[in-house]
Amino acid sequence: MLTFLRKRATTSLLPLVAVLLGVFLLARMTGDPAALYLPENATEAQKETFRTANGLDLPVWQQLLDYLGGVVRLDFGTSLRTGEPAAEMALRAFPATLQLALTTMVLAVVISIVIGSYAAYRPNSLADRLASFMSMTAASVPDFWLAITGVWIFAVMLGVLPTSGVDASMLSWVLPIATLLFRPAGVLTQVVRGAMVSALSAPYVRLARSKGADSRRVVTDHALRNAAAPALTVAGDLAVGLVNGAVVVESIFGWPGIGKLMIDSILQRDFAVLQAAVLLTAVTIFVLNVVIDLCYALLDARVRDKALV
Amino acid sequence: MFSRTQSRTSRGVAVGAAVVSLSLTVSACSVANSDSAGTTAGGDVVRIVLPQEPPTLEPCDANLTSTGVVVRSNITEPLVERDPTSGELEPLLATEWEQTEPDTWTFTLREGVTFSDGTPFDAEAAAHSIDRAVNGTFGCNVEGYVFGDTELEVDAVDATHLTVTTPEPDPILPLRLSFIEIVPASASGTEKVREPVGTGPYKIEEWQAGTKLTLAANESYWGDAPAFPTAEYQWREEGTVRAAMITNGEADVATGLAPEDGLGDAGVDYPNNETTAVRATGTYAPLDDIRVRHAINYAIDRGSIVDSLFDGYAEVASQLVPDGVVGHNPDLEPWPYDPEKARSLIAEAEADGVPTDTEIRLISRTGLFPKVEETVEVVQKALEDVGLNVSIEMLDTAGSVQYQSRPYPEDTGPYLMLVQHGNQAGDAAFSVDQYMLSDGAQSTFGTDEFDAQIEAAGKEQDEGRQQAYADVFADEPDTIGQFAYIAHMTGILGLSEQVSYEPNSATGDEMRLAEMTPAG
Repeated sequence: MLTFLRKRATTSLLPLVAVLLGVFLLARMTGDPAALYLPENATEAQKETFRTANGLDLPVWQQLLDYLGGVVRLDFGTSLRTGEPAAEMALRAFPATLQLALTTMVLAVVISIVIGSYAAYRPNSLADRLASFMSMTAASVPDFWLAITGVWIFAVMLGVLPTSGVDASMLSWVLPIATLLFRPAGVLTQVVRGAMVSALSAPYVRLARSKGADSRRVVTDHALRNAAAPALTVAGDLAVGLVNGAVVVESIFGWPGIGKLMIDSILQRDFAVLQAAVLLTAVTIFVLNVVIDLCYALLDARVRDKALV
Repeated sequence: MFSRTQSRTSRGVAVGAAVVSLSLTVSACSVANSDSAGTTAGGDVVRIVLPQEPPTLEPCDANLTSTGVVVRSNITEPLVERDPTSGELEPLLATEWEQTEPDTWTFTLREGVTFSDGTPFDAEAAAHSIDRAVNGTFGCNVEGYVFGDTELEVDAVDATHLTVTTPEPDPILPLRLSFIEIVPASASGTEKVREPVGTGPYKIEEWQAGTKLTLAANESYWGDAPAFPTAEYQWREEGTVRAAMITNGEADVATGLAPEDGLGDAGVDYPNNETTAVRATGTYAPLDDIRVRHAINYAIDRGSIVDSLFDGYAEVASQLVPDGVVGHNPDLEPWPYDPEKARSLIAEAEADGVPTDTEIRLISRTGLFPKVEETVEVVQKALEDVGLNVSIEMLDTAGSVQYQSRPYPEDTGPYLMLVQHGNQAGDAAFSVDQYMLSDGAQSTFGTDEFDAQIEAAGKEQDEGRQQAYADVFADEPDTIGQFAYIAHMTGILGLSEQVSYEPNSATGDEMRLAEMTPAG
């Protein structure tokens, strides 16, 4: 297991560094923060003072070395916008996004397994039609529209949910999660359905049936276990997207997560915060990928054997 | 008896439930990065929802809308304030002021005032506040907006008297000083503060970054206690959501709304002193030809933009400042919509060798005002229809500011900017100096004669000042023609039935909580 983790960490290091370099360099190509943070008629001397104070007067390669040195010392810089340590801002926002992502993914997996399996087991049934409808609408309905429509129906017209924000009740979770859930649940349901259709027509299922195994056992013990791998792959990708920041949902519902923080830092040319937020999400996605690989190993003995080599 | 299958299924369900519980119930349903305290409606709290979180509450950046709307006259106060309705200056932390020398003003300060941290307010604090904002080197935004490059000499004569001296006589210095918020002498003079202390009716109780800002009544406030002991600010980017918060009883006041946000009767409109205009760079062909710039003016159907895009919540503009600002010229008529005239002017210029087919960039900023994208598209179509070659570039704030203010980027080619200018001060000098002087921060060209006319207007007072700036606005189109004015805008405020508040032209930049009272 340790060997597997070491290998995974080694192979993930390169993409991680590439992401950091990319974000660092691209951010600096978007313009000079001095133009944004100083008055319209600031003198060149004032701009130079600002750049010097924030290390922006140095050559880019030197800024990069300073940044990487800081990362090693766990110093991620200071926000130009608020003056707070960038890492503190990223760490403060990230758990709110994780809460949303985790809850959404668990619900998406449960819904997709139930509806997708039943749809495969009973073709042309109500569940099958529901699965098709969910996947089509998930692919075509934008989050933005869904969120605003949800606010209008459930908050304004029916008055049963808050429009947005975070409060002490569970109700404020409903609209953000429902909005986020729509796409992953639809996509995953279709994947589970497809995988289950293949699995249920496989020779080992026919064999199990011919041996007299009951239907539920055939579905859950045999077919579902073998259909789980492709679903896990897609679920992993969807989870990565959610962890990366549900920007639209966070913005509309005033959810204090990292997606909103990242967008704000880009718009405000707040380089340190952007880099800290990207680094944090990149590391989390690495961990998430390791967890997904471990799940593969649990599901598939062939993968487990390779991992242990 | 449970089968093996059933037990596995149960286990799976249990695991799923446990994970959901982990993120929901174990954390007591609270959202990380917030205290998840519910915002309750009631007579003690006024709940305000803004389009964005203030990036800072630094008082010397209070001329920025997102900061000023929270800070000004709520947390901190200036020496004098301008009545947005009458335009007159009213005493605040200064009770009297007079021009004791041609270049010096003397202010008599209010006695018995303390900051919310208990520090007494005196001339030393006032002098420090002006000095750090105007003469400081850490980039106070108000410095550029109000004083330009002017350095002030500020002296605390005694505890209650302050003198301010300018390099040249400045007849509107008290008005300029109405933009300087007063902070204690202990406030840093070398860097900005995020959470200021002031003398205003409120003080900062808690700022949950990203979630909510709570102000509490300042018990040591020198004036009448505000009607609401607590004020809570939240922020939502979407106007529709802000409007829905009013309808749903989650907020009492919502700012920055548009007609299509669907607020109905809960929406209150008010003139917000913002003017939209297309500004031309006069340094590249074909925009360096005044016939082409006049053609642009004839090509834009301002009436249709106001009626169709702004739903009538605006007024067709003939100049850079609206009625109510000193210098506004009531006799000016908007440019007529005459595409034929525009085509003939362009043909005339083309016949004289002006390259009218050169691509012109039409640049603006996303989120500048509701329907900005549609306005840009309408303007582009209008200019294309009369024979110009126009491409649209929508940029974010940081991307657009380089084209908006000096120093402009080099080799840009000809470009037009759709800008929105707000005159918060009520005097044309705050618009003309930056937009019409040939070296103005947001001007791209001019002439020596027109500069001299503007500078002479700035030295006038009272009626002479009004007339001199009115003449500037009357002369600009024919002598320079840098702008195609579109509309004087109207703000829309959402107001719940719980709160009584009358917005005015300053509301967008300075929303005084003390003027809000429980309805009924």
